[in-house]
Amino acid sequence: MRTRTSPGPWFAAPVAVFMLLCFAAPILIVTWYSLMPSRTFDLTGALTTENYRAAFTEGYTRPLLWSLLGAATTTVITALLAWPTAVILHRYAGKWASVTSALIALPIFISESVRLFGMSVFLMPRGGILAGSLNAVFGIQIGSILNTWAAAQLGMIYIHLPFMLFPLLLGVSLIPADRIEAARDLGASRWQTFREVELPLAAPGLLIGALLTFVLCLGANAEAAILGGRAVTVITAAIEQRFNYAQDWPMGAALTVLVILVTALIVLPVLSRLDLNKLTRR
Amino acid sequence: MTGARHITALRALWVTAILAFLYVPIMSVVLASMANTRYMRFPHKVWTLDAYREAIASFTTWQIHAISFWIAVYVVIFAVLLGTLGAVAFARFDWRGRSVFQRLLVLPIFFPQPVLGLALLLSLNAVGLAPSWKTAIVAHLVWIVPIVTLVISIRFFGYDPAQEEAARDLGANRWQVIREVTLPALWPGIFSGALFAFLLSWSNLPLSVYTSGPDTPLPVWLFSRTATNYSPLVPSVAVIGTLISALLVVSLALLLITARRLRAPRG
Amino acid sequence: MTPAEDVSNGRPVILSLAGLSKSFGSLKAVDDISLDIPEGEFLTIVGPSGSGKSTLVRLLAGLETPSGGDLFLREARITDHPANKRPTAMVFQSLALFDHRTVGQNIEFAMKMKGVPAAQRRQRALELLSLVRLPEAYYTRPVTQCSGGERQRVALARAFASEPEILFFDEPLSAIDYRLRKTLEVELKELHQRTRRTFVYITHSLEEAMVMSDRIAIMQDGRIVQTGTPAEIYGAPANRFVASFMGEVNILTVERGAAGGATFAEIGQPAEAPRGAYAMIRPEALALGDGPVTAQLEVTQRLLLGSRTQVHLVAPSGATLISELPGSAPELQIGTRHAFSFAPADIAWMET
Repeated sequence: MRTRTSPGPWFAAPVAVFMLLCFAAPILIVTWYSLMPSRTFDLTGALTTENYRAAFTEGYTRPLLWSLLGAATTTVITALLAWPTAVILHRYAGKWASVTSALIALPIFISESVRLFGMSVFLMPRGGILAGSLNAVFGIQIGSILNTWAAAQLGMIYIHLPFMLFPLLLGVSLIPADRIEAARDLGASRWQTFREVELPLAAPGLLIGALLTFVLCLGANAEAAILGGRAVTVITAAIEQRFNYAQDWPMGAALTVLVILVTALIVLPVLSRLDLNKLTRR
Repeated sequence: MTGARHITALRALWVTAILAFLYVPIMSVVLASMANTRYMRFPHKVWTLDAYREAIASFTTWQIHAISFWIAVYVVIFAVLLGTLGAVAFARFDWRGRSVFQRLLVLPIFFPQPVLGLALLLSLNAVGLAPSWKTAIVAHLVWIVPIVTLVISIRFFGYDPAQEEAARDLGANRWQVIREVTLPALWPGIFSGALFAFLLSWSNLPLSVYTSGPDTPLPVWLFSRTATNYSPLVPSVAVIGTLISALLVVSLALLLITARRLRAPRG
Repeated sequence: MTPAEDVSNGRPVILSLAGLSKSFGSLKAVDDISLDIPEGEFLTIVGPSGSGKSTLVRLLAGLETPSGGDLFLREARITDHPANKRPTAMVFQSLALFDHRTVGQNIEFAMKMKGVPAAQRRQRALELLSLVRLPEAYYTRPVTQCSGGERQRVALARAFASEPEILFFDEPLSAIDYRLRKTLEVELKELHQRTRRTFVYITHSLEEAMVMSDRIAIMQDGRIVQTGTPAEIYGAPANRFVASFMGEVNILTVERGAAGGATFAEIGQPAEAPRGAYAMIRPEALALGDGPVTAQLEVTQRLLLGSRTQVHLVAPSGATLISELPGSAPELQIGTRHAFSFAPADIAWMET
């Protein structure tokens, strides 16, 4: 019931103040930094857009494109892996559903440095877990994808699969079983049922999963560092270099703002369309 | 019907493969920890738990765990306080501006964490604060408070606010309504929120890397030692750190079950 | 206004509403209602959704504060008392059971708030379980494991446990299937007769009200348009709104001619000595064959209702009427025309 003197704002206030100070303000400060002259460390210089010009002319579009490509690939592949898994868990797993879901959720709570390290010892050439075992058991010698872009890509899929799976599980549970039966009864093929009924009904879950995966991948750099062997430079790595080695904070800030802009362009339109109440209430 | 049985087997196989994909790397860490050589040559010639002995004897192991632990504890306290209040605003009341609040609050979840960490680092510099484990707490909270708020909100959406009116109607005062009806109904949400907060903080890498300064939490230490100066000590510490969080989850779950048994009235 | 003694048959008035009003912005949900409720009465307030009946009962329970008027409990003014300070208890539409508690804990809630010792609470809770016909074993059962009907009984027992002087019911049976609802209606009536408490019941179903109540008040747009016993309301609805609320009835319009005569507009027949602008004729009063007022009507639909048959009829003017006849009435086939009639004694007259 909507009351005129709702205490809602009072309860919202502490969180809102915290988020303004520690989320909104840093974004503003970074933006301010990005408008400072190159290689300055305070915020008192004359405003300039030089850093943004440099961002597009001095080869930073490549790292950004690598990150976007990695994020897009990961989103598509995790979605393809997660959809059948979610459907099986929701409709066919029965008493196994909750155990399996818990097992899939668990890795989220293990540090990604641990899991990526595990991936790297598994993929290592010669003495790695995979190569070593194959050699010892079957006498097969195999090469390794470690320290290539493919390994980084595999790591991104590995780390982000649970982030796609859980929203999708929520999405699939939004499809009432009778709607599928109704569609089949009305003559739809399996594919048509999927396209016309299941996908639209599960769309909110798929959307959230895709959004989450894409955005998290956009900033991911541990995968490229541990598994990719810096075969390619992703945007976060480029930003970090600007900050740490080049000591060019305004430039790093400008690149950060660009990533934030890309994120906002993707997230805000989707988020404005989602009905958060409906999703969490079910 | 062999066709149906094939499909069932295929489904089981698919899920097993997904689980294997998720767990093989984790098992690989355990296997790697049982070596005694700096360079991995699997299968190990000598299987040993020496690395664990070394890890337990090392001061660094305790230090990085202590840092991670205290960060996580403070994150839990603040995230639960802010998240519970936030959830009341998010889900219990309908007010002007609620939908804007809801959308803005979930924004940090949909934000690249390393970028957030860098932005915070820059801001700390701008206001003249040195990064340390305390600033890492703040960084973790930016990401974890929205998650905890959502977790508690879900509890609220299955909650009939008429319960509070019924309690009033049956003679409860405002404080009794909160103590007897609202908090007990919310308690499972607060509990899972606290658990989420602890585990997410304990395992966080991308925010800690940029905001913890000279204090090194467990995931950051593992990340840097993986890249340089590798030894079997690294996987053994990884296993110990993961076991500690698992132990915490299990013991909390047991505690909760026991508490529920004790509180249940005898019939 | 009717003097209090008349409606109460000498029983003292327990709750008195004096010009009670509640507005939400420009909407007057409850508009200047005055009503006396005698002790021990089963009063049902009936109205369609949006008529303000829920707001009214929430005002009585103290869950809303009125924008105007006063409320008296045994002549003491309680207008400003909050819900927890009123000796009343409500059974909510959603039941509002405490889902995290057992049946016993739900029932004992009011006693716990008053500080009644545990042993005493338990004994009373067990008594109440038997009052609402639930086995004692339910005491330790979580309410989430109870069926719909059992939850109704728990809500009832919980309300009784606070020893209320008045019990309010906000459509608690609306979400229950037909058969169970019928059973619970009868049980509620019996419970009222056994306990002699004052019940104020809210519903949108006049049928439900007829079964249970001593007196019915009908609400429309925030006002009470008629009060009376079920028989009074049935026999003489105050206006077309009340009449149409009873379900399928025929309402004919009286048209006054220039010469002083009057006719029923829909069937073009003379209306002798009309005592209102509208006439309500029940379907069973519209009989086959000639009579005092006769019309030629064509059958458009026939429905078998077990021992009776309902036919939908259309007059040459295009107006539709309904008649119910005993048996299967085989001659009333669709498309055939017959003479139907009713007697002036069967007419309930209405002004508006």
